[in-house]
Amino acid sequence: MSHGIVFDIREFALHDGPGIRTTVFLKGCPLRCSWCHNPEGQSGQPQEIGAGSHRRIVGRRYEAADLAALLNRQAPILAANNGGITFSGGEPLLQAQFIAEVIEGLNGLPVLLDTSGYSSEAQFRLVAAKCQMVFFDVKLIDAEAHRRFTGADNAPILANLRRLGEMEVPFVVRVPLVPGVTDTRTNLSAIAGAVHRLPGLVRVDLLRYNRAAGGKYASFGMPFRPGFDESAEVNLDPEPFTALGIEVRIPGDEPGRRINA
Amino acid sequence: MVSTASASFDSQRLNAIKERIRNGEHRQHRRASAPDVLAEVGAAGLSWPRRAARLVRRMCEAEEPVIGPDERIVFTRTTPEVPPVYLADEWQRVTAGRTIHELGPVNNICADWGMVLSQGLLGRKRVARQTRARLAGDPAAQEFLDGAIETIDAVMDLAGRYRAAAARAGRHDLAEILARVPAHPPRTFHEALQALRLLHAVLWLGGHYQAGLGRFDQYLWPYLAADLTGGRLTRASAEELVAEFFLSLNKDSDLYPGVQQGDNGQTLMLGGVRRDGSDGVNELTRIALRAALFTEMIDPKINLRMSPRTDLSLLCLASELTRQGLGFPQYSNDEVVIPALAAHGYDLEDARDYCVAACWEFIIPGKGMEVVNIGAVSLPGAVDRGIREGLARGDDFNGILARTAVDIRRQVGDLTERYSRLLLPPAPYHSVLMDGCLERGRDLSGGLRYNNFGIHGACAANAADALAAVKRTVFEERSVEPRELIAALDANFDGHEPLRGRLLQQAPKVGNDPEADAFLSGLFDMFAEACEATQDNGRGGRVRPGCGSAMYYLWLAQGQPGDSTPPIGATADGRVRGDFFSANLAPSPQAQVRGPLSVLQAFSRIDYSRVYNGGPITMELADASFSDPEALAKCATLVRIFAQLGCQQLQLNALNAQKLRDAKRHPERHRNLIVRVWGWSGYFCELEPAYQDHVIARCEHRL
Repeated sequence: MSHGIVFDIREFALHDGPGIRTTVFLKGCPLRCSWCHNPEGQSGQPQEIGAGSHRRIVGRRYEAADLAALLNRQAPILAANNGGITFSGGEPLLQAQFIAEVIEGLNGLPVLLDTSGYSSEAQFRLVAAKCQMVFFDVKLIDAEAHRRFTGADNAPILANLRRLGEMEVPFVVRVPLVPGVTDTRTNLSAIAGAVHRLPGLVRVDLLRYNRAAGGKYASFGMPFRPGFDESAEVNLDPEPFTALGIEVRIPGDEPGRRINA
Repeated sequence: MVSTASASFDSQRLNAIKERIRNGEHRQHRRASAPDVLAEVGAAGLSWPRRAARLVRRMCEAEEPVIGPDERIVFTRTTPEVPPVYLADEWQRVTAGRTIHELGPVNNICADWGMVLSQGLLGRKRVARQTRARLAGDPAAQEFLDGAIETIDAVMDLAGRYRAAAARAGRHDLAEILARVPAHPPRTFHEALQALRLLHAVLWLGGHYQAGLGRFDQYLWPYLAADLTGGRLTRASAEELVAEFFLSLNKDSDLYPGVQQGDNGQTLMLGGVRRDGSDGVNELTRIALRAALFTEMIDPKINLRMSPRTDLSLLCLASELTRQGLGFPQYSNDEVVIPALAAHGYDLEDARDYCVAACWEFIIPGKGMEVVNIGAVSLPGAVDRGIREGLARGDDFNGILARTAVDIRRQVGDLTERYSRLLLPPAPYHSVLMDGCLERGRDLSGGLRYNNFGIHGACAANAADALAAVKRTVFEERSVEPRELIAALDANFDGHEPLRGRLLQQAPKVGNDPEADAFLSGLFDMFAEACEATQDNGRGGRVRPGCGSAMYYLWLAQGQPGDSTPPIGATADGRVRGDFFSANLAPSPQAQVRGPLSVLQAFSRIDYSRVYNGGPITMELADASFSDPEALAKCATLVRIFAQLGCQQLQLNALNAQKLRDAKRHPERHRNLIVRVWGWSGYFCELEPAYQDHVIARCEHRL
């Protein structure tokens, strides 16, 4: 039995998949996206924030069976309303074995994986094969730009994207629109080209950049250096996708919605 | 999305009326002085019942008709003050030794509007005359019925003067309607709304308050259905009439008594089953919801009855209204409410006909003289005393629970004893609008078919959290010494911050831990048992336990002028002195919960078959949660889950913290911002700062 570190559990997550869903946010991420909204998801260890009686620990350790039991308390409600559980982060695949065990304990609830795609092939297959749907973030196709803005190579991500196409798991590609970084026509066209022939692609979601992104950094003693002009208009033109017959959605703004995976 | 875009009629005329009401232009017609009823009734030495009738008559006579050039439903109040019928010392004498509820006059019940419309005032007068002839040897009945007839004549006379004024203004359309109603039964939906406007307004003129509108879409549906079938109205023109009626209810909000402006009880119920148990949702249910979307004002306060089977499209329409942020509609679950009422002496058909009183209390239109809010039991107070006494005397945890139960019984006993001496003033006009008063020759104030009292069980989540914290830290972990806890509470946690942190962060809380949830339902079991101990409340009724807090979340925490005891200090859940308690059924403001499903599950554990006075689960959602159609449908599904889980009542509030903070700083920019406060909605900028702060705090702790 393995354990994992979770930094939040949010019920009634409106934009994390179909139906009424509960999202589990796993702590730890291999990427360092400069626009990250969830700095508490970056480190894999519990962190202490606040002071005095407001001091609290962000990040809680769960045994897989205990987390499954907690989620199962609401299984009938979620199942009756076309919902289920979403695993997000951080990067949930950093704790792939843990998630796989939690899913095994879930009384058959539909599961959605919300991932940056950055993981080994084995980790990716282990979890994705147990999911009814995957939300797969694609940020930048250009390898150099990807390294510059996320600190990581995008080759494993694009390889997992192709594998996902072969796995017969329906998936949504999610593109965080960061002004001047990911929302350029060149990048969006490249993403459209990379995904449009993949079997299992349901649609592409374009996620607006949330200007409150830097809000949480101070609590964690971290600097926020986005490295781009936050106030610039975001390009929401879905044409590169629609031109290839891909369905596009732009979910409504919601404060605190996470964009980076 | 701009709500007014949803109006299916040409909204230019009504937008003008709305703007005039918001600007208070109708107030120019108000006169400074009230009629001097006291001089007249004192000189004539009239009895109390006759004084009450004379008051209604003189108030009606004092009204000057106002015919707005573009109004299709008229009545604008011109006499803001309701004068007394007794001098202060006479009032002392007639009420000596008795308990007077709130301001005195009969309030917070609902008339049988459908019955009155279907009979017309002339029909009601015929009933009064027949009873008068039958009870010739009963002087009390004669006096009551003479008074009732005096009020009926006064209302018909007022309608006659409005008709004449309409004719003089060249408004023959209105004159024709006013020649018909409210004396005769309406022939059309328009006539029915005009009759309702007048009949309802006169209740307020007579000093009654918190006068609700009952099951609007049920009793008015026959009139609308006939007009739709006959081609006299379309859905759009019907919606326009309903919207105008709703606007008219906002003209006098500032004159109505309440703890805060907006707390006026002009509730309106939609949906639910009919008296025979079949589904009562009809086209008027949807028209009324859409009209409320257009109106965007604090009245009427929209309630929606529903069940797990309610059509999701209706709940989506209702969620659009929630998105506006007014705190409407409040939902009640038929499947929980009706069986509970039926199990406590309500006829099944009457139980199916329930609506709500001023806030949430379940009442039967036309059939009850119930006082559903005789006061509140302070659950945090009971637990606090139980903990302090129990720890001081070395009790085990069960001892603390036993002391808490005794304290709750004492509080219920005190309230019930006080109200066993209740005195309600005669209410001849209100009696005309009820079932059985004219028929039996008995004034409403003497009682009706249902005569129960209701008590709020206030601020339950903090109380349950305090029990859970003591059990965990003092008795299980043994990490806190009893003396240390008491010292920390007495010091308001000054110098005990680490202990406070443990109580706040590590102890179980309602909404995130089944053990704390069980304490909450256990407290309501104690409360129900205490209420069930009263077989007769002195008026042939019982005492109904409820789960609303009303203003007690603030009063119990911070005190109010005239309190005989100081408010509760710091509590064992980690709350410091003066901090708000939870409003209605909500996790305590300090508790971190995973979300609305856990909250609904926690409160679904209350035994609502015993706790049936009403009191909503209260949840805040960010207004952005409703931003796209998919999210809106999920909010509607959340309402369905509320019913699926067997919960009783729900208020969903859409709030925007930034907007509220700005409104506090710059009220001039937000004069139309409406928020739900406890069981009602009011203009944010007209609330006292303490209530504004609580709304902002709720928003910051939103799910």
